[in-house]
Amino acid sequence: MALIEIASVRYRYPTDEAWVLDGISLQVEAGEYVVLAGASGSGKSTLLRLLNGLIPHFYGGELVGGVRIGGIETREQPVHNWLPYVGLVFQNPEAQLFASSVERELTFGLESLGLPRDEIHARVNWASEVAHITPLLKRAPLMLSGGEQQRVAVAAVLALRPRVLALDEPFTNLDPEAAQDLRAILRTVRSEGTTVIVAEHRLAEMLADATRLVILAEGAVAIDDTPRSALTHDLAPLGVNVPTLVRFARAMGNHGVPLSVDEALAMGMRVPAKETRSGTLTPAMGMRRRVVEARALGHDLDGTAVLRDVNVDIGHGEVVALVGRNGSGKTTFLKHLNALRRPSRGSLVVLGYDTRHARVADLASRVGLVFQNPNDQLFKLTVREEVEIGARSVGRYDLGVMESLYEAFGLRLLLERSPFRLSEGQKKRVAFASALAARPELLVLDEPTVGQDAPSRDALVSWLRGLEQTVVVATHDLEFAQDVATRWIALADGMVVADGTPDAVMSDAGVMARAGLKPTPRFALTALTPNSPLATSGQASPVKTEEGGSPAHLPGIAGEANHQAREHGTPAGEWGRKG
Amino acid sequence: MSLDPRTKLLLLLLFAVVVMLTPGLPILGAETALVVLGIVALGFFRAWLRFLRAIIVLAAILFAFYFWTLSLDAAGIGVLRLLASVSAFFFFFQLTAPEDLGNALVKSGVPYPFAFVLITAMQFAPVLARQAHDVFDAQRARGIRLEPDVASVRNIPALLAPLLVQAFTLAEQMAEALEARGFGSPHRTFVREYRLRAMDFAAALAGVTASAMIILLMH
Repeated sequence: MALIEIASVRYRYPTDEAWVLDGISLQVEAGEYVVLAGASGSGKSTLLRLLNGLIPHFYGGELVGGVRIGGIETREQPVHNWLPYVGLVFQNPEAQLFASSVERELTFGLESLGLPRDEIHARVNWASEVAHITPLLKRAPLMLSGGEQQRVAVAAVLALRPRVLALDEPFTNLDPEAAQDLRAILRTVRSEGTTVIVAEHRLAEMLADATRLVILAEGAVAIDDTPRSALTHDLAPLGVNVPTLVRFARAMGNHGVPLSVDEALAMGMRVPAKETRSGTLTPAMGMRRRVVEARALGHDLDGTAVLRDVNVDIGHGEVVALVGRNGSGKTTFLKHLNALRRPSRGSLVVLGYDTRHARVADLASRVGLVFQNPNDQLFKLTVREEVEIGARSVGRYDLGVMESLYEAFGLRLLLERSPFRLSEGQKKRVAFASALAARPELLVLDEPTVGQDAPSRDALVSWLRGLEQTVVVATHDLEFAQDVATRWIALADGMVVADGTPDAVMSDAGVMARAGLKPTPRFALTALTPNSPLATSGQASPVKTEEGGSPAHLPGIAGEANHQAREHGTPAGEWGRKG
Repeated sequence: MSLDPRTKLLLLLLFAVVVMLTPGLPILGAETALVVLGIVALGFFRAWLRFLRAIIVLAAILFAFYFWTLSLDAAGIGVLRLLASVSAFFFFFQLTAPEDLGNALVKSGVPYPFAFVLITAMQFAPVLARQAHDVFDAQRARGIRLEPDVASVRNIPALLAPLLVQAFTLAEQMAEALEARGFGSPHRTFVREYRLRAMDFAAALAGVTASAMIILLMH
């Protein structure tokens, strides 16, 4: 008998007519590591909520078919009776941490189980060790970083010692380092005999660890196989983010399924010619006019320096990615670009406005800022009004521009709908259109790929590549950053630690470690390929850049370049591109 | 050894009543000073100053209102009452984890779901405050005027609608997460013990007597 048995299940929420799960059948044995993938709305989150009885007990709705855990129907027992069987970690860490300290957070579920005090202490200690949160036990969960909160959420569920640990998009908000950490935790958990089920878009993070890949489409299982076999199918139509290395293999007509760079090299793979965009700065993108000029910019928040001595010039038409850990100052820098935050030290000039004195309203028409969470801005009754409101507020409404935006973002059929009724991906498109409606010269994006499925992400990449505006994008999705940006600025502890082409930044192992970054598979594959311009005796770093000398813009050099540029009256970017 | 959360709650409520019934500035000043002394003595002074920043606008509005409608004296009394009572609440929650208060109330027969609403509301507040901040930034970034002036009044929905919608979503997600960790379990145990000891009864008796005497003397 399988540990989890889902037999011909159909389910719809009380408020919806449509079946979210539509004839799904799935069996999971004890000890498996299952990755659930599929486009947004394919039913992944709903499936997870079946496992611990939240559906039907908490949600209600109509459930047809059988869900048995350990041979018992979930509908026969209340949710709290499933605690020792299935633990579910939700997507939003903030909404599942409700205690005043991490220790109490872990204790809560154990008290629900009615355990004696000694057992509770033992389990808190065990779970906090497994999830690497022992030093955080006395801290308030809401004061922790996103990565730490995610680990606390995992530990709080883990302490209940469930036979199945299920996680809903746990990697979504994590930076590369935190993602690596979580991946290691899940490996440990599984090695101790727990069954792991992860619903996720970022497949490359843990496919190598998984025993099985289940792809959902329209509420049913479309593909169910080992990750390697599943990846031999054409997954793009199912809205799955196919890992880069597998995509490369396909492009080269290779039928293997490399899950790591080493495997790709062993298969004799190279980066396909059409994918070698990164690192080659097009001269047309060169500095024509400076759009952003930061001079010794510093910003303090509650007495702590969030930005320190930032010297950056960004030229018209550049697409720049800000990379670094969560909390490294990326969002704070972005908010300076339209004066939502003001320099505590130094200066920042954006499109000729000195942000120490400029009003947000003045910059709003020239700088379009798209925040990570589109729900922060939706308030109008229709999508049309929502897209138009920004442009109308700053007196730059133009019907022709609106029409082209509706077309570009596929909003035409949604215009009279309520923005609140849209999917998260659609809301994001509304937010983009809204930011562009006032025809800004500078477009600023904060983590645009978070929670996006493959079709939305691909659409975003091709759209950004076609833009003429200057773009600054903060992201922890380095593959995306490599796809869209010709220049990376790496931040660590509020300081610029590298500024150059993606290849130049990734070539410096020291900088990458300092900024908590991992080279993308594409870069690693190129660098480790013999005779590659990036390769040096088989090591990924350090390597020379295309300038042939020392890497331009790398730590210290960025500042120096800026300094020399000021001395000679030329912008640093130009300096970086000569040679 | 510290007092039981219920005793601390009783003392807090007594203090609030006394403050509300105190008619004169000098005694109110003394009462406020008493709380501030406690805050300083236990090392919460900096946190208290940060907390005061959050209520300064409210205090200013209250002052202006009393000043225009009544008198300078009334305005001073109103602001001091506010200051003394919110500082006392601040002090109380520095000394008492919300869970301890909730669990102790459950021990006294308050239904668990009710006590838990109290606890989570406290945790909910800072998340909501951060969200309000994000919404404020997002709207101003696209040119929607949200300055503290009359012209911005018509744009209040731009601030409130996203905030309310997200507050409901958050509340729903929190309820779901609670359920998934056994909120409804009838077998709940408590790691901490909540027992009223002799010192609790002594403190409660002293508090009630002192409050009664102060109120009688003042009136």
